Amino acid sequence: MTDALTAVTTEASGLFAGLKVADFTWAAAGPIATKQLADNGATVIKVESFKHPDSIRLGGPFIDDKPGINRSGFFADFHSSKLGISVDMSNPDAIEIIRPLIEWADVVAESFRPGVMKKWGLDYDSLRAINPRIVMLSSSLYGSSGPWARHPGYGAQGQALSGIHAMTGWPDRPPAMPKGAYSDSVSPRYALSALVAALIHRERTGEGQHVELSQIEATAQLLAPELVAYQISGIEGTRAGSRKPGSILHGVFPCLGEERWIAIEALTEAQFAALGQVLGASEALDTARAKGLDALDEAVAALTRPRDAFALMAACRAAGVPAGVANKASDLLEDDVLNAHGHFWPLDHAEMGRLKYNGPAYRFEKTPSALRFAAPRLGEHTEAVMTRILGFDQADIARFRDKGLLQ
Amino acid sequence: MSTAKTALDGIRVLELSALAGAVCGRVLADLGAEVIKIEPEGGEPFRRSLPRVSTAQGEESAAWLAFNHGKRSVTLDPLTDEAGFAALCASADIVITDWERLDLDTMDRLGRIARDANPALVWCEILPFGRGGPYERYPATDTVLQALGGHLYLNGDVDLPPVRISLPVGLIQGGAEAASAALMALWHALRTGEGQRVDVSVQACIVWTLLNSTMAWQILGLNEMRGGAIRKERANRFYTRLVWETRDGFIFFGPVGGGGGSARIKSYEALLAWMAEDGFTDPILTRHDWNGDGQFFIPQEDYDAVTAVIVDFIRTKTTDALMTRAVKDRILLAPISSVAGVFDNPQFRARQYFRPLADPDRGLEIDLPARWANLSQTPLAAPAPAPLPGADTATILSPLRQGSTA
Repeated sequence: MTDALTAVTTEASGLFAGLKVADFTWAAAGPIATKQLADNGATVIKVESFKHPDSIRLGGPFIDDKPGINRSGFFADFHSSKLGISVDMSNPDAIEIIRPLIEWADVVAESFRPGVMKKWGLDYDSLRAINPRIVMLSSSLYGSSGPWARHPGYGAQGQALSGIHAMTGWPDRPPAMPKGAYSDSVSPRYALSALVAALIHRERTGEGQHVELSQIEATAQLLAPELVAYQISGIEGTRAGSRKPGSILHGVFPCLGEERWIAIEALTEAQFAALGQVLGASEALDTARAKGLDALDEAVAALTRPRDAFALMAACRAAGVPAGVANKASDLLEDDVLNAHGHFWPLDHAEMGRLKYNGPAYRFEKTPSALRFAAPRLGEHTEAVMTRILGFDQADIARFRDKGLLQ
Repeated sequence: MSTAKTALDGIRVLELSALAGAVCGRVLADLGAEVIKIEPEGGEPFRRSLPRVSTAQGEESAAWLAFNHGKRSVTLDPLTDEAGFAALCASADIVITDWERLDLDTMDRLGRIARDANPALVWCEILPFGRGGPYERYPATDTVLQALGGHLYLNGDVDLPPVRISLPVGLIQGGAEAASAALMALWHALRTGEGQRVDVSVQACIVWTLLNSTMAWQILGLNEMRGGAIRKERANRFYTRLVWETRDGFIFFGPVGGGGGSARIKSYEALLAWMAEDGFTDPILTRHDWNGDGQFFIPQEDYDAVTAVIVDFIRTKTTDALMTRAVKDRILLAPISSVAGVFDNPQFRARQYFRPLADPDRGLEIDLPARWANLSQTPLAAPAPAPLPGADTATILSPLRQGSTA
């Protein structure tokens, strides 16, 4: 049987095969970015401090509903295909282990609050002194400069500050909290773009560099049209329920069953007419439309309420009307389209068993991505990485243990 | 225009796009690529999408202006001028397209021409569901994809239907995803000479915004429920208040319960100290180890009682005062910023996130949210005006046509 380290270093396929990444990122935004490197063949070594492990190891859901350092599905999903080592980073001698890792690496990634890497002697200038070709990615919530740089925070604060939260909900109510933490899911796409561009630059010129990114700034790119409109027209866009200007019909409607909803849009007269046919009520919809948007929404809701959401979606699709069931997480795992893609990857974990991990949202025709193995347990690959990649022997490891650098 | 070296200096990108492809092109242009929009006579339809703003050029789409500055524009119909399109593709590294601009049959036809002309080309498609099978032709829009990706179900107040985010988040995030994927494929092409097709599924991009929902279902059999200001967060068994009214707006804040580690504990201590200064004291505030071992299992009525006291305190403060104190004392709250709040955000301003754009042809002098990353050796390109339709047709196409007939 092939172990993970062999699989990573000698059997890797994918367009980043051979790329070496020292990954200090934690929480969500950083690990989601480095996951794209790992799932495309890079050797990604996640470095955790066993006295202060990745915070999302402490975030649910936990297997069997029991919290535990190696039991979080939240953590697991962002750590496919990564090796994990665990070192006491607060010990000044940790550099004895980390220095050869930096010498080995093409990329160092981190997502700590600004100042943490410097405290460890691992800021960009220190890294560059060890390895001049290094490309360093630093992603933090607010960015490494400015008055809020050192303020602690996580993604839910990020989606509030970048404008996503205020744009969600009903105009006559307080803004509704969007699920998740939009800055954690948007910013990795920007971080990865900048990082790969820096790698391309290094490939062409030999020059490494530091890529620094604020997760709220990257996420506020979603607001760029509103920021332009606000300056030119003075009009501030805001949350509008599910309506959208310019549409004949644009809403979310009830269907048969508990919490079953469908989004339906009619942007053109042809789509509106086709929807009337699908719902078997063309005249009623025309009448309601003449009375205004509220009346039209009510009329459509009355017609969709007794219908099966998935059957109605199929009928709308066949008629050319954009419609989508508001999928629940359970629906996603059964979704024909996602499954036809192979979006979910079943992976076996020693403590968590088999779980389906999310794969990439993109597909390469010739260099397919692959989720190669499950997330590492804390320190799972410490010895293997130290002996087989970093060149230490068992005597070194015993010495590091004595010093308290390793568990 | 800035002459500083950029990461993608010399990389040429062609764009046949509406919104999603333009976002992708925007990222690549910021990183220094030359991005050329291929447009029909008079400009692409997306130039006129809603909402529109008035400029010296007439009514123009705000989203179009936001994502197309610093690009070039060539008037060319690739279906009738195959040779011109092939010559452009031979000179390019990446082609970006999306389903709101081209139907699949046209994509297939143009993709063949492009890749025959240039085997090292990265051909990047942004589609509702990605490629393959009957579903690649399902009609879809951004809101439909917010629904099918599982995010819409989780947003909104419990007594009303789920709501979309009032922004085309799927299309924009799909564009950003496409930029990263196209660059990965370019990395491969530059090293091996092998081009390829890359397709992006916006539905899958939306699934990625859920963070832990598909794991929560698999592990706990739990489908989370939406909430407005109050919801069950993560794997909590009780409802927590996350939106708090201030004297002049709203903040996001999770003072107690439901995870957050030592930062959450310190944040709550700092809040209590501030409340005590103002005379807000109550035994309920310290009755539980709110952020300690029992944080996932707080009785709802105790949670409601502690938040009632905190609600009263927060209502006495302005949003700015709350954030100023929060930064000083490390309290984990944040203003729920409106568009104006984002525009005026002091952190963004201090970091020069907004960069000035002077566009004399449109009579515009505005600030663009432009510096989304800081690359120490190859800074992002400075904003330059968006092109008028066909502005670069002669300069870009003439040398190519001469080349192909020589």
